[in-house]
Amino acid sequence: MAKIAQALLKRLGGMAIVLALVVTVVFIIVRVTPGDPAAVMLGSDATPADIAQLRTKMGLDAPMIVQYGQFVLGILQGDLGQSIFLNQPVTTALASRAEPTFFLTLFSILIAVGIALPVGILSAVKRGTIFDQIVVTLTMIAASVPSFWLGLMLIQIFAVGQGWFPASGYGGPETPFLERLHHLVLPAVALGIVNSALITRFTRAAMLDVLGEDYVRTARAKGAGAGRVILKHALKNAMIPIITVIGLSVAMLVAGAVVTETVFGLPGVGNLVVSAVLRRDYPVIQGALLTVAAIYVLINFIVDMLYIVVDPRVRL
Amino acid sequence: MKKSAFVLMTLAALAGTSSLAMAEASDGILTVATIGEPPSLDVMQTPTDIVLTIDQHIFETLYTYDAEWKSVPLLAAAMPTISEDGLTYRIPLREGVKFHDGSDFDAKDVTASLKRWMAINSKGKQVATIVDSLSEDGDHAVIIKLKSRYAPLLATLSQASVIMPSEKVKDTLTDFIGTGPYELKERKPDQYTQLVRFDGYKSPEGAPNNYAGKREAIAKEIRFVPVPDANTRVEGLISGQFDYADSLPVSAYERVEKSGNAKPVIFKDAGWASMNMNMKQGLLVKKPLRQAVQAALNANDMMLAAFSDDRFFSVDGSIFPKGSFWHTEAGVVRYGEGDPDAAGKLLKEAGYDGTPLRLLTSRQYEFHYKIGEVAKAYLEAAGFKVDLQVVDWATLTTRRADPKEWDIFITHSNFPGDPTTINTITDSYPGWYVSDQKTKAVAAYMNATTDDAKKTAWDGIQTVIYDDAPLYKVGNFNAVSGLSNGVSGYEPTYWPHFWNVTPKK
Repeated sequence: MAKIAQALLKRLGGMAIVLALVVTVVFIIVRVTPGDPAAVMLGSDATPADIAQLRTKMGLDAPMIVQYGQFVLGILQGDLGQSIFLNQPVTTALASRAEPTFFLTLFSILIAVGIALPVGILSAVKRGTIFDQIVVTLTMIAASVPSFWLGLMLIQIFAVGQGWFPASGYGGPETPFLERLHHLVLPAVALGIVNSALITRFTRAAMLDVLGEDYVRTARAKGAGAGRVILKHALKNAMIPIITVIGLSVAMLVAGAVVTETVFGLPGVGNLVVSAVLRRDYPVIQGALLTVAAIYVLINFIVDMLYIVVDPRVRL
Repeated sequence: MKKSAFVLMTLAALAGTSSLAMAEASDGILTVATIGEPPSLDVMQTPTDIVLTIDQHIFETLYTYDAEWKSVPLLAAAMPTISEDGLTYRIPLREGVKFHDGSDFDAKDVTASLKRWMAINSKGKQVATIVDSLSEDGDHAVIIKLKSRYAPLLATLSQASVIMPSEKVKDTLTDFIGTGPYELKERKPDQYTQLVRFDGYKSPEGAPNNYAGKREAIAKEIRFVPVPDANTRVEGLISGQFDYADSLPVSAYERVEKSGNAKPVIFKDAGWASMNMNMKQGLLVKKPLRQAVQAALNANDMMLAAFSDDRFFSVDGSIFPKGSFWHTEAGVVRYGEGDPDAAGKLLKEAGYDGTPLRLLTSRQYEFHYKIGEVAKAYLEAAGFKVDLQVVDWATLTTRRADPKEWDIFITHSNFPGDPTTINTITDSYPGWYVSDQKTKAVAAYMNATTDDAKKTAWDGIQTVIYDDAPLYKVGNFNAVSGLSNGVSGYEPTYWPHFWNVTPKK
């Protein structure tokens, strides 16, 4: 038990180092990238003197090291700073974007896993059949299709053609929760289909690896039913690569749904990051990337923990 | 069986909520899809098109533009009385006008607001340099005393110089309270800006004419929804989710027209594209080289590449388009032909040594990029070596502020109410157009007090611009937007407005 606690602490220490590196790298990249929030805010009429004046007002003319110190000090106090453009704390801006991103990620991954696991398993079990070949072809197509194109097609068919779903947005004022979720159906399907391709291929490959193992053959020889052999003996042992790829997909969806969020006009975290980059809203870029990195690290940590649950041979 | 029934019921429920949303949208609400989220609602600080579009429903200025882009009264009760020396303007104010917070509009609000405008707005700061004093003349008039004559004064009082209650005036605005036909209810960044009808609104008199005349808040609510993806704006319009979609790609024109649910709207001469040249540092400090750029370029080919079809653009050497009060052919030379021989001759005379010409453009506005690509080809045909630098808009606005970084940048503007408010004419605008003949020509304009005298002076300024070549006017472009069938009363304007517009039933 003490060993586990020690290993956990080691992991948490590693996570802290990763996040400290992210904080520093993001701060430097944002500052050395050309572009100036003051110039964006003042519009095309602004003269260099106007821009310089606003930079002073915003504190952007302070030495880099001072700005970095203030940023780190803020983080330690749980303060990610104040958005230059939104006129609200970065934490508030992120919190208001969390709902669509959370549910979009959840629905997308449920759709992806809902398609990928059964199809991947069946494809492995029926290796070499027409079904398997169709699955391999379709997953290749799905992996190659850009999610924005698929999104536009879904909009044309189900929003414009059938009128079943809204084309974009996350609802207006006083939109009830269910109606807001209704706005997420098409983007979740678009992302779910694209993500299912990778998970299907990993599931199929992992299952093929274990289906040829001696213990599977032994289980069959002992008269275990096909379902029991596949689900209990084979799938359980194939789960590690599958969990890894699902974990990676979830982590990527948190911030990687940028294009889909843009196409569907969803006010999620990805959209916030894109807007912040275009406007050079430094505090939002820094705060959002730090939060996303923290989620990424956390998901990886959870995946590592799941390895132990799935396979007791894995040690921390 | 049970599972498929559940799936069908779920789909039916989801489709049902959609129908409900559509019904709500038709209940006196106008949903407007914009190109993105406004960076702020403080139009004095950030006078960009998207902010002006939304804010004009909330705030009002002393004057506004009619269809000829002449300034006419809005919160002012009449045109100003101007002293004989042209230095003192007395502006009478309308009585009985109320702000959204219920307070009365008076002279104190005007002086407080204009002082803030002169402190933080780029155009306001220019005005501040020539304003001697700004004072109240009773509750319903203000007096502006100038140090020297300033012809564009009324034009500058017609745009971002919005009036707010004096108590709400502060460095960073937190309350957005104006006198406009709609008041701000809620803003959720990247989701919507919700405006609701202001029941205490007092409209100016007269028939609607561009931004002037009677304003009636017919829709009970306007929702500005940021939809950055142009294709999504098109699909949202056709599906009926949006009542109006701004800035549609020209390629979507036919699709919208044939949809049967919406119609495309063209706003002619919405703006003009230009290539601004660096007169402070680098290659183009030499006038003959700037003139070589003028001679080398083919305006029609650049506009065709950028806008695909001549329904969406026109090519005209006059800086202001046909139909505008300021349209003139005065001084137009070396325009539009794309003459590599003439350009080559000028290059030789100027002793061009093959230094690359740094042409800065952005893909944020795709037409800027396309203009840049064609310009590169024509400039190279004339003998220039061209370094086309494609960056994002924020990078471009930073780089153009540094004269060491560029030779030409591509941009676009609208047609302002007063010709001398064109950015390039300002000494400090990137490009740093400073010349004796310009100073004289602009001074003549500033001294003009009648429209005819101003027009003659503007002829002189345009002539000088063609000779000095601080910019190359590429052409005029039309804006394409889309309006849902059933919405009536919409009149296209540069900053689309939705008072006097009836939502679909």
